[in-house]
Amino acid sequence: MIAALRLELRRSRMLALWLGVVVVLYAGGITLFYPVVLTNAAEYEKLMTIYPKELMAAFGIEGSLSDQGTFLNSYVFQFLWPLVAAIAAILMATRVAADADSGFLDGPLSTRLPRVRYLASGIAGQVVALAALAATMVGAIVVVDLLIEPNFPTGRVILAGVHALAMAMAIAGVTTFLTIVFLDRGKAGGLAAGILIVMYLLRILAAISPNMADLSRLSAFRYFDLKVLIDTGAYPLGDTLLYLAAAVGGWLLALWAFRRRDLAA
Amino acid sequence: MDAAVLTRGLTKCFGSKCAVDALDLEIAPGEIFGLVGPDGAGKTTTIRLLLGLLRPTAGRSTVLGHDSWQDAPAAHVGLAYVSSDPAYLGQLTAAEQLDYMASLRGLPKGAWRRVAERFELDPTVQVRKLSGGNRKKVGVVQAFMGEEPLLVMDEPTSGLDPLMQREFLTLVSEARAAGRTVFLSSHNLPEVERACDRVGIIREGRLVDVSTVSDLRASHWRSVSLELAAPPPAGFFELPNVRVVSASARDVHLMVQGDMNPLLRRLAAIEVGDISITTLEIEDVFLKLYDGSPASATGQGPE
Repeated sequence: MIAALRLELRRSRMLALWLGVVVVLYAGGITLFYPVVLTNAAEYEKLMTIYPKELMAAFGIEGSLSDQGTFLNSYVFQFLWPLVAAIAAILMATRVAADADSGFLDGPLSTRLPRVRYLASGIAGQVVALAALAATMVGAIVVVDLLIEPNFPTGRVILAGVHALAMAMAIAGVTTFLTIVFLDRGKAGGLAAGILIVMYLLRILAAISPNMADLSRLSAFRYFDLKVLIDTGAYPLGDTLLYLAAAVGGWLLALWAFRRRDLAA
Repeated sequence: MDAAVLTRGLTKCFGSKCAVDALDLEIAPGEIFGLVGPDGAGKTTTIRLLLGLLRPTAGRSTVLGHDSWQDAPAAHVGLAYVSSDPAYLGQLTAAEQLDYMASLRGLPKGAWRRVAERFELDPTVQVRKLSGGNRKKVGVVQAFMGEEPLLVMDEPTSGLDPLMQREFLTLVSEARAAGRTVFLSSHNLPEVERACDRVGIIREGRLVDVSTVSDLRASHWRSVSLELAAPPPAGFFELPNVRVVSASARDVHLMVQGDMNPLLRRLAAIEVGDISITTLEIEDVFLKLYDGSPASATGQGPE
């Protein structure tokens, strides 16, 4: 199992590296930009009034951009992270289907290594890579914060990273299950991406139209609002647990299904 | 002693088409068995069923006494496998790929070196940069790097050059001497002829013939070409095991199944200018088995 895990980590290395570069450049760059927002707060407030309040809320921008929680939540956590998490989680979670399609899977699965342990190695690889990306994002914010001293609350930013990791794990867990069901990278990845896009649109729709507000309950993004955590330190434990339940549930179902999965294409 | 490989009514259907249909097979420990058939006959599906990668539609199979679907990991403990088209991770070198598989099989790192040297495989090259033949070498090295009692190989020599094919046959001989069981599939009949003790011929998912290589050849056909001094009397070649393929005034081409003596006795009565008898290569036998109806496949004679 160690060999399988080591190989999974190696296979995720380049993906994590390149996404990590994107995360560092974006999260670090945005954090660097924060003092500019503070200096020109009045102009930004004026600019924001151009857009409908509901539309801004739909994209996670509520309150003043000079507010640390609003700034980080809207520019980093709600914009950058869902994209990075979805790309990384979907690419890693659907790998087993690509391996089945190429025939690579036949090799390891014809050894003494049980299927469950093989897939568990892949899942462990997903968790490690996603954790590395979340840590990179938080690290970029914290390092830039140390350099330019906008004085973000480091502990709360780290906790936000923990919640972000849970959210990414939920995407990975559900996608892994879809992958085992379809054993087709295109179908599983496409369906997972489609579900995420629909959920994102539901969230926007619910914010724009108050009479459709209940639709947001169907969206995973509803549970990914980190403004309050960064501003007040109140950790959204329930939301994290919800994400973790989706993640663990997806993975367990995937392991159960893979154990008896006919590997015919 | 338990059979190394046993299948009973093993069937695998994809929709309405059955790739393997009620396959009954028993391979004894220490036996070298070849499953022969053209592309699409069901060889790879049979092997993937034996490996527990596919769930049988009906029937069952055991490998080294373990149910190959229900108890696959236990069956895999004593098994080494190479697929017909081995897939590797392109970024790995051959050495890394082999070490990875060695690790999963509980073998020490570098267990492949001895066999790799025999196949003149450069282990430092990334798999994606290897030619098709060298990729195949990686698979064969992978199969032979351990001492598992059962080797399962799906078309192991396709893509190997003749020298490497010879090395492969040497390794199979060594496996036989060590008492290991080898189950290989192939459409390369001369290779099967040289390597195997018994051959099973699979056609459209059904096992149409299982026999020893020598029996297979003896029970089937010889090609006899005659140049006669004068045209033979009518019905001269009407013998139970003789078929006239073509006949002109003096040139006759016959196919003879099994015993040649009845024909030779009859030929003694006429003047024969020249005679040529060719024992059909197993490849020809195989082609005849595939040529035409199921009746011909059971050795009833060429159409």
